[in-house]
Amino acid sequence: MSVRRGEREVLFTGVGGQGIQICSRTLATAATDEGRYAMLSARYAGGMRGGMTNAEVTVGIAPLRALPVASSAWSAFAMSAEHWETIRPRLRPSAVIVFNSSLMEAPGGVDDAQPFGVPASDMAAELGNPMTASFVLLGGFAALTGIVTIAGLVAAMRRLIPAYRTEHLAANEMAIVAGADAVPELAAPAWSAAETAGSGAEPAGSPVEPVRQA
Amino acid sequence: MTLRLMQGSEAVADAAILAGCRFFAGYPMLPFTELLEQMSRKLPTAGGVCINAETEIEAVNMALGAAATGARSATGSCGQGIALMQEAVAECALNELPVVFFNMARGQQDYFQCTRGGGWGDYRTITLAPKDIPEAVEHTQLLFHLADQYRTPVILLGDYVIAHTHVGVDVQRREYGPLPAKEWALDGSMSGTGQAREIWTWARGKPNTPGPGPNVHWQDLAEKYRAIDAAEARWEADVPEGTEVVVVSFGTTAAFVDYVVEDLRAEGVPIGSFRPVTLWPFPGEALAEATAGCRRILVYELNAGQMVDDVRIHAADRRAIRSIGGVSQDSSGMRQGDLLDADVLRTRIMQAIEEGD
Amino acid sequence: MPTIVPTSAPPVVPSQQVAEAAPSLMQSQEHELCPGCGHPVAWRLVLECMEELDIAARSIIIVGHGCYTQMMRLSDLDSLQCLHGRAPAVGTGVKRMLPDAAVFTLQGDGDMVSEGLAEVLHAAARGERITSLLFNNGVFGDTGGHMTASTVLGQRTKTSLEGREPGAHGYPVDVSRLLAQLDGAAYVARGAVNTPGMIARTKRMIHRAMELQLAGAGFTFVEVLTMCPTGWFVPTPGGPQYLEDSMMATYGIGELKTPD
Repeated sequence: MSVRRGEREVLFTGVGGQGIQICSRTLATAATDEGRYAMLSARYAGGMRGGMTNAEVTVGIAPLRALPVASSAWSAFAMSAEHWETIRPRLRPSAVIVFNSSLMEAPGGVDDAQPFGVPASDMAAELGNPMTASFVLLGGFAALTGIVTIAGLVAAMRRLIPAYRTEHLAANEMAIVAGADAVPELAAPAWSAAETAGSGAEPAGSPVEPVRQA
Repeated sequence: MTLRLMQGSEAVADAAILAGCRFFAGYPMLPFTELLEQMSRKLPTAGGVCINAETEIEAVNMALGAAATGARSATGSCGQGIALMQEAVAECALNELPVVFFNMARGQQDYFQCTRGGGWGDYRTITLAPKDIPEAVEHTQLLFHLADQYRTPVILLGDYVIAHTHVGVDVQRREYGPLPAKEWALDGSMSGTGQAREIWTWARGKPNTPGPGPNVHWQDLAEKYRAIDAAEARWEADVPEGTEVVVVSFGTTAAFVDYVVEDLRAEGVPIGSFRPVTLWPFPGEALAEATAGCRRILVYELNAGQMVDDVRIHAADRRAIRSIGGVSQDSSGMRQGDLLDADVLRTRIMQAIEEGD
Repeated sequence: MPTIVPTSAPPVVPSQQVAEAAPSLMQSQEHELCPGCGHPVAWRLVLECMEELDIAARSIIIVGHGCYTQMMRLSDLDSLQCLHGRAPAVGTGVKRMLPDAAVFTLQGDGDMVSEGLAEVLHAAARGERITSLLFNNGVFGDTGGHMTASTVLGQRTKTSLEGREPGAHGYPVDVSRLLAQLDGAAYVARGAVNTPGMIARTKRMIHRAMELQLAGAGFTFVEVLTMCPTGWFVPTPGGPQYLEDSMMATYGIGELKTPD
């Protein structure tokens, strides 16, 4: 399958209650607010806690050609290993894999993978807010890849947390920043120099103009 | 253009309100539920009324009543709930009441339900099938216009993917031109004047203002739907010179077809695509014309084969036609399953080409 | 306080036969109902109340399927004929869009108590500010005399030829009693049109229901027991007495719920 240049797919996996849905939505919102094109699909089982919970976010520098079901993905965000197999087959060779090393080993089965472990659960516990573990990992993911800025992530998080949970804003922000600080910055950059130049260049290979009846 | 990350359901709700929808009633049923939630949240602020009805049948009849007063009115469900509403859909058509139906379908592409209907009598429902959320926003507004223009119930055929995916959208109001005033709408003002209005499928009228009666009324309606058929078909054709294989699809599956066709063409496969944007009126002539030079038509729909019937009606005389979709449900029963996949689609296309006619 | 009628001069209003005093809200009186049918009597009360309250110019009627549908066609009122059973839902949509209109639904017992029980109960529970009218003759008259959920025990119909019997056909549903239990219902009353006394009493119920709708009190409901000698297999002049012996004996007359 061809790779859409200028688009980056992130497959999220975890167990219900680990923050997969809020984190994937935060990432997609931050990307959109920073002027990029984003799509978010979520797949979760019926139960609010403990079941499979997956999401996929695609971010692009131009209007997306990506589909709501990504056939192949550039990266993975894994909070736990229970449902790793539901996303592993779709990761491309050399995929960036950011995982919660407090709960899992570096997951295998991807050729030439670039794994980055962040002890997110432990760090969150040390900060006194165990529930913010996924935001720790998200901060790490953003700093490693530069897919969105940390400031953008924090701003998006602030917008998305519902009014009846605002007591968590400070803790979430702390977690994002801590995660960002815990990783080597831009060790696996999402964007190439040309893409970050912000020229808004079209991806290579322009599609045929479709004929459309008004 | 400022994009905001929105769930499809929210974008459609905003579009409906921008189009002037002021009444909405529905019954919770995934994946339609979020649209009901959004309308419940937003419509009152816009000066409208949203009712979480106790049954689908009550929801659609409330929407019918609201439409009778001249208000822009809508309801919806997934295919299962729309099935319950069928008698009322026919009633709207035969009463010439404009109501917009949002069908956020589950895993099955219910083409027959939208185009053949389940009500009684001779009527059709203009049906638009958007392939993505930005198109759903446009179609929602267009449907309110068409419903009023032709005084008929109309359908937006969405699905789980359109309802639940989040994407950056800029929901803007679109204008479609002026419409005549709704002289037929009921508000009580003609009561007692000797010229009171009447809305009745049998169109008998009243002693002072006799109506044509059911026979003539329903013949007139059949004529109206023939006129709509001739005027309102919409489609998208991507069939460059030299194309040998055309993939026909609608809705979300069409987005997957676009993606795969672009790749295959870059690899030198002489392939194109055709997408009915209106499922009814079905753009049969345009399909026949677009595929005139090609050898093979592949129909990709996620059901046991429904639109393929219309493809055969319009293009069977010249070309080999094959279904490459099928029934596909995911384990939750709420959305399409493994067949909604670009790799699977690509494999099926290549297999069909290799196997020949 | 008795009114003293002056007799020193002729009356100002000329005398008139009652049968000639048609309510002005009828465009025609040429109906096709059976001799002895109670529906026209009941409908006339509704129109008279509309005239007396001067609300015709904002009245909308929503009518179901039955012999009484003709009343819609003959009435000079903005009208909508709707699906069997659905009138209270349709009325909800109308009233929510036109809160200042006077919205009335008219159904028979087959339409409301058989097909449309959910609709009327839900509309009442929601407190929709409409007035729902039930013309109850305990039978599906228009289809030729079949059993409805209101048919009383012992009543012979084409689907209960030996008379309705609990073991075979279950018991009748008293929809007024059900509605009276709902908090959203502001006024629930049952009258009849088989005697002049009942007619006068029923007219007062209809009048009260309309007033309460206009005051925004909530859902108002009047059930009117009407005669259907054809559907009952009873000779025409026997209709009124039969109504008293069968339906009134089963259901009772009166206001089941009032705001006070």
